[in-house]
Amino acid sequence: MILPELLPILVIALYFLGTVLFVVGSALRHEVLKNAALALAALGFALHSLDLLHLLVGAEAAQNLIAGRFLFCLLGWGILFIFLMLWWRLKLKFLAVVAMPLALMLYLAANATVGINTKLPPMLSGLFFFLHIGTLFASMALLAMAFGAGLAFMHLEKRIKTKAGLKQFQKDMPSLDTFDRVNHFVSLCGFPLYTLGLASGYVWAWLSARRVFSLDPKEIMALIVLGLYAYLFHQRLVMGWRGRKPAVMAICVFLLTVLSMLGINFLVPTTFHGFKP
Amino acid sequence: MDTMIFLVGLNHRCAGVDVREKFALTSVADFEKSLLAACPLREVMALSTCNRVEILVVADSDRCAGIDLAEAVLRHWAEICAGPLDVLREHTYRHAGLDAVTHLFCVAASLDSMVMGEPQILGQLKTSYRKAVETGTARVIINRLLHKSFSVAKRVRTETAIASSAVSISYAAVELAKKIFGELAGKTAMLVGAGEMAELAATHLLASGIEKLYITNRTYSRAQELAKTMHGEAVFFEGMVEKLRDVDIVISSTGSPTAIIRAKDIREVLKKRRNRAMFFIDIAVPRDIDPDVNALDNVYLYDIDDLKEVVEENMSARQGEAVKARAIVDVETQAFATWLKSLALQPTITDLLGRAEDVASRELAKTLKRLGDVDDETRLALEVLVTSVSRKLLHEPICFLKRRTREEGTAERFIDMTRRIFNLDADTVNEDAHLDRRTVDDEAIDDETQDCECCRSDGPEPLAPKNKEDQPEQEDQK
Repeated sequence: MILPELLPILVIALYFLGTVLFVVGSALRHEVLKNAALALAALGFALHSLDLLHLLVGAEAAQNLIAGRFLFCLLGWGILFIFLMLWWRLKLKFLAVVAMPLALMLYLAANATVGINTKLPPMLSGLFFFLHIGTLFASMALLAMAFGAGLAFMHLEKRIKTKAGLKQFQKDMPSLDTFDRVNHFVSLCGFPLYTLGLASGYVWAWLSARRVFSLDPKEIMALIVLGLYAYLFHQRLVMGWRGRKPAVMAICVFLLTVLSMLGINFLVPTTFHGFKP
Repeated sequence: MDTMIFLVGLNHRCAGVDVREKFALTSVADFEKSLLAACPLREVMALSTCNRVEILVVADSDRCAGIDLAEAVLRHWAEICAGPLDVLREHTYRHAGLDAVTHLFCVAASLDSMVMGEPQILGQLKTSYRKAVETGTARVIINRLLHKSFSVAKRVRTETAIASSAVSISYAAVELAKKIFGELAGKTAMLVGAGEMAELAATHLLASGIEKLYITNRTYSRAQELAKTMHGEAVFFEGMVEKLRDVDIVISSTGSPTAIIRAKDIREVLKKRRNRAMFFIDIAVPRDIDPDVNALDNVYLYDIDDLKEVVEENMSARQGEAVKARAIVDVETQAFATWLKSLALQPTITDLLGRAEDVASRELAKTLKRLGDVDDETRLALEVLVTSVSRKLLHEPICFLKRRTREEGTAERFIDMTRRIFNLDADTVNEDAHLDRRTVDDEAIDDETQDCECCRSDGPEPLAPKNKEDQPEQEDQK
């Protein structure tokens, strides 16, 4: 089959072109270019979905599920999916600056990890797979968006607070309120997803090994992230945090999740959460 | 019979307001006609606003050899306004030829305005032009010149960022508010104290979609009064801080010698409104709002100096854009000069014949291709046929143009018409280009870009437009 072989190259090309075009379009304040970039990204996203689907329904589906390539692929897809949702709901084109390069990087990483398989366990199938991996990836994708929105918020807020004056680039950015709404959305949806992901992981660990906590570095990291995420969720929804503080918090949480995902997978010898060959 | 374009005028830079009001033409009826009667001119258009007067005239150089035209116009102008000629002479500028064209383009593109980039001048120019068209004092050259100046203004507006940032305090405040809150619809503002600038800012906010405006003043009756004119709601001064929990934007300009809004009050207010962002605009001197307020999260405070700085920065950004705009003006001036030169008889005849030859050779090539192999004799015959048809067809129009030029000294109107009918300048005309004068100016030909029958068909076709009586289908079958 030619399609599966060409597909990754096509997706990478589309994401790459889209990213470049979007950055150029933003620099030149050219709406047509930006829209073209988004169209390219959307096309890439469609092909990306096709690629994922192909991995899922193929004859080697069971094997594919635990391949590193599939996991990275899924994460990149999730980020773009969340971006497209935000674009649709909040009309937030701006976050493409974060979403498109991230999706590109993850997709590239996915294709670089061909051959690497996680030693993921026989019982992690079907329901648990999506409860655990799906929810965690979705919340990470949400966090990625909050990360981008948070950085943009802090940058713009600093310009306004210090009265440094707005350059053309900042004039084209969405308002502070829009970025804050992204943060709100992420706190609201991301935390329950993350909790669900962790909880299902523990339930599964208990079912399979009769052991809830295995002192895996990733699990420790995940608990720390959960704590911070819970704090953000609480402050935001109960204490009415807004603006800079939750933005900083979301940035920290995202960086920690990235650290736990990449750092621990590739650097620390781990029990069973790694993608090592 | 060379054409001369002249422009005399005065603006806010070279004339004080007393001079400008003395020589304003806003209340003078039919200035153009009287000027046309007083001086040997061909076309006249006058623009008069509170900041400038521009008089654009077109004349034949041989008809007014030895006359100082600008002086004659000034004399008439002084006479009409019953003002001293030497004062007028001292405060006006004169531009001739392409300088006048450049100047007019700059005026239209608002590069010469008091606040550079503000678009009002274009509307005023359009009104003046319409008036000149109605009185019949604007003809070929002014028509073309003004239409070009409108398109220059449009290009400058779309291709440079000259009008993209706020250059007044109140607009700058609104722009900042939009950067903080996004859409202003559904937001609430409060006006503390009264003052011209504060009211102006509140008006701009209302125009941008603010939902509710509270007004408070130390004297409650004054607040009520303002509330009536601005469709707001008056609030007691004592209840102001309490009310702030519902207010997103505060504009303050009281005469109070000390701060009336303190950081510790606002901290409480913020708690009550669950940290929703607030934007304070302090226009008063001495300041009404404690500067520490700006240190609170989600609160943004701009005082008059901060806003002035924003405005100045935007202003200097406009200056930078003006360089780009000037380049556009220069290019368009050159294009206009080219057109002006082509308005003579000889270049038009050359262009006409060139166009005919071009069409003939293209159609000949098509026909030969379709016929396949033909002997040289047939080819020669066909060549002679198409060239002679196209030449003969143009013979009468060319004779007409020559005759008119001989009889009247100038046939610019017909030459211009010819150029437009045959689209010799390859202009593109917007569909709405003449909307504003469709009822007025019957000279205009709006269909320059429309497809016509003779361009559409691919079949063997006549070189000149067909008569309506011809039956195209039958021709095709032959």
